Amino acid sequence: MNSSPLPRSQRIFRALLRVLPFDFRANYGHEMEGVFHEQEREIKERGGPMGFLKLWGETIAGIFRTAPSEHWEILKQDLLYGLRMMRKNAGFTALAVFTLGLGIGANTAIFSVVHAVLMRPLPYPEGDRLIFIRQRAVKEGIDDLTFSAHEIEDYRSQNQTLSGLVEYHTMSFILYGHGDPDRIRTAVVSANYFNLFKVQPLLGRSFLAEDDKLGAPAVLILSYEYWKDKFGADPGIVGRTFELNDRIHTVVGVLPPVPQYPAESDVYMPTSACPFRSGKAFIDNRDARMLAAFARIKPGVTLAQVRADLSTIAGRLKSEYPKSYPENMGYTAVSSPLQEELTHGARPTLLVLLGAAAFVLLIACANVANLTLARMSRRERELAVRTALGAGRSRLLRQLLTESFLLALVGGALGLILAYSSLELLTQFAARLTPRAREINIDAGVLAFTLLAALGTSIIFGTISAVFTRANLSASLKEGSTGSGAGQTKNRVRSALIVSQVAFSFMLLIGAGLMLRSLIKMLRVDPGFVSQRVLAMRTTFSFSKYAKTEQLVEAIKKVLDRVQTEPGVISAALSSSYPLEPEAISAGPNAFTGTFKIHGRDLAPGEAPPVGSYSVISPAYFRTLGIPLKEGREFTETDGGKGQMQVAMVNEAMRRRFWPNEDPVGKGISFDDGATWATIVGIAGDVREFGLDRPALPEIYIPHSEGPSPSTLSVRTIADPQTMSETITRALHEVDPQLAVTHIVTLEQARTESTTSPRVTASLLGIFGGLALLIAAAGIGGIMALAVSQRVREIGIRIALGAQRSKILRMVLGQGLLLAALGVGIGLAGALAVTHLAKSLLFEVTPTDPATFLGVAVVLVAAAILASYLPARRAAAIDPIEALRTE
Amino acid sequence: MSPPRETRDREEQVPLTPAMFHVLLALADEEMHGYAILKEVERRTDGKVRLSAGTLYGIIKRLNGEGWIVESSKRPAASLDDERRRYYRLTEVGRQVAVAEARRMEELLKMARNKKLFAKPNLA
Repeated sequence: MNSSPLPRSQRIFRALLRVLPFDFRANYGHEMEGVFHEQEREIKERGGPMGFLKLWGETIAGIFRTAPSEHWEILKQDLLYGLRMMRKNAGFTALAVFTLGLGIGANTAIFSVVHAVLMRPLPYPEGDRLIFIRQRAVKEGIDDLTFSAHEIEDYRSQNQTLSGLVEYHTMSFILYGHGDPDRIRTAVVSANYFNLFKVQPLLGRSFLAEDDKLGAPAVLILSYEYWKDKFGADPGIVGRTFELNDRIHTVVGVLPPVPQYPAESDVYMPTSACPFRSGKAFIDNRDARMLAAFARIKPGVTLAQVRADLSTIAGRLKSEYPKSYPENMGYTAVSSPLQEELTHGARPTLLVLLGAAAFVLLIACANVANLTLARMSRRERELAVRTALGAGRSRLLRQLLTESFLLALVGGALGLILAYSSLELLTQFAARLTPRAREINIDAGVLAFTLLAALGTSIIFGTISAVFTRANLSASLKEGSTGSGAGQTKNRVRSALIVSQVAFSFMLLIGAGLMLRSLIKMLRVDPGFVSQRVLAMRTTFSFSKYAKTEQLVEAIKKVLDRVQTEPGVISAALSSSYPLEPEAISAGPNAFTGTFKIHGRDLAPGEAPPVGSYSVISPAYFRTLGIPLKEGREFTETDGGKGQMQVAMVNEAMRRRFWPNEDPVGKGISFDDGATWATIVGIAGDVREFGLDRPALPEIYIPHSEGPSPSTLSVRTIADPQTMSETITRALHEVDPQLAVTHIVTLEQARTESTTSPRVTASLLGIFGGLALLIAAAGIGGIMALAVSQRVREIGIRIALGAQRSKILRMVLGQGLLLAALGVGIGLAGALAVTHLAKSLLFEVTPTDPATFLGVAVVLVAAAILASYLPARRAAAIDPIEALRTE
Repeated sequence: MSPPRETRDREEQVPLTPAMFHVLLALADEEMHGYAILKEVERRTDGKVRLSAGTLYGIIKRLNGEGWIVESSKRPAASLDDERRRYYRLTEVGRQVAVAEARRMEELLKMARNKKLFAKPNLA
């Protein structure tokens, strides 16, 4: 073309041509411009604006019709060529696919969890308007007071911003008439509970307002899973009746298979059917709290407005009932989106793992880029010849990218298989962190992520390798295959890739190291009890059968006496829960707390009463669990049972908190605002009830004859407790065939299970870090071997000139070490910048724990030395005569 | 623009669209450059088949790749030439393919005639 500026139509046409593949344009673009030019001229001669429109229409349509098939043609060619190259280099292909598969698999697996738990909206209509409401006692450090019946009613009737507010609590009831007495997890909810969640029952009906009235006939709605597992999905279930704690309950509906928050229940019942909730003692007492509250925000109302509304109500309650909400309590009501409430516990762990997985993928990318560069040096001549034969540069880039994408795609498929096979394990892990774990699956969103990860990966490593291969092509033909100048650029690129791998590995290993140190600290922590050889189980006494305290005490005595006569049993005790019981951990300590009064200490006006956590225990509890008695005495069979609280025990945390300078033994405390007083008879050692990483809370022990029915049995045995479980169940059923015995575990199991989450996090990070270390070490070994092979001649000359072999060895080792040191330096800066993000996951370890940092650095440097040792030895063993002869 | 593809002969190893056939036909008598082919096809079909630059060169690339046409080295006198133009010539194979396609259509037409398809009164 001439240099005069092109008319606009020609410029537009030329721009349009860019839709076509480069080669096509290179070959025919010029001619096509000519044709278009002539068509245009002809129309100009004939005149008429319609002609121009038609020409442009046909031209644009023609180009867009031709472009896809032309691109596909090239893609087909490149794919076939790429497949041939993959087959030809099976070793490289296997290594690259494996590395990428691990990287993409780790990301897909973690992403499937993140996607289901943190990203997907709750599976209810307008689930984003569901909120969770909490009452807090800020000054007492209580994050969730739960609600009393009065409070639920107040917030329900006084709010302006909610379209509904429902209550929820769980209970365990015993269902009779289906084989062994079965303990069923029951959710007690407001009548409009399912309306609030907008869940329609699969069978039957929802609860009605009448169901909620005191004295209404007892009705039940079954969860889908319970209906399926226990009743074989019997379509005629609606209308059937069940005996539940002495009352006849009628099934009125079955839920669809929806995830249940905050916990899974077997059946749902309205508040009127729960003997505790409908009891006068609970309903009338503003301070008797056990309910959770969910609500739905009115359309068009913001969360901020809801929060303001709630704090107005809280303020009103405070001034109306100063006794229930004293100034020093710091009483407030807050709300958070239900989605957030259900997942905030999982967020830090999942994000740390996702970050770690991304690191693994980056390392895999750098590694495959390096492998590809190495392979490219072998293909350089082929590529150079193709360039010489007229293949455009961008054509080659495109082909290399296609090859990269093929590799990544196969890697992605492998990754998907890996992710799929780890799904069950991950779901179990996530279930420790969030009730949404059951929703984890590999769906279209996750598949799209995998595809994107593969595409992104191939672009990263494909571009790195293609760009630096391109830089060399011209040099390659001129110089033959020993390329020096360009070769050095490439070695620098490869070294940089290795350094980045070491840096990322360092960060990953730091993460793994910190988690491991936390875990070890957690396992070494003294839990306050001896977990070996103790069997624990849930034993739910029917409270309708043992309605009177004397009946229950009598039954408990029989049970304990019977179990203790069993050969192999050292001692047995009943209690409201046992340490590290999974259900107690997930319910949290606040579920078991209450206020009390200390004798002789009057509260100043506005001062909040002391708060402690309660445990109901039978006499041999401390002996059975190996909890040391620090002072005073344990409960005996003669304690209590007189219808009023007479004795109590406290733990050391309680003493430190409330009697820092005196001995609480002999002092009086009251749970009914001073109406009756109990004397503290002993002090027990602290027990980490709610997690090995959570310090013991102030705890009050009450004899079983004076509190609510204790529902767990612990048995210390002589031999392996596991072997005793059947014997003990049989013994229990001898005493009371209607006793529900479930959840049989050893305390060792409970203790192990309580550390599942940090253990899995540590192992996943450990696996990621180990992989990274392996990849980085292999990378260092590879590049040092290459460097040695490129310098055989030079090293040969040095040796011939008298250089000592040990010096050559040290030189190569030093170079490997330099790469590792650079990587460690960069990784150190990176780790210092990011580890604080994982702070909430650590236990008694700081995010910059010097021991971990030092240890990881030593491990990485040692791995680098080890990896460089083989090439170094080979360099030192070079025979100068051979070396000079080969070139 | 292009007529239905079912006219394509499945027996042929390479698919021949009507547009491709027209281009081969245009080159049957003489060598031509792209614009000339385009005009020739348009003229002979009374404007019923109109090629655009994009479709034409897609076809040229295909025919060239199959070896049915080649670029000609002969060029007209400089006064009549445009340096952007390239001239194309039908090869022997290309001619055979065009003939085979024409025969196939002839057979088809014969069959239609034997069925007295054309003799029947037009129902429209």
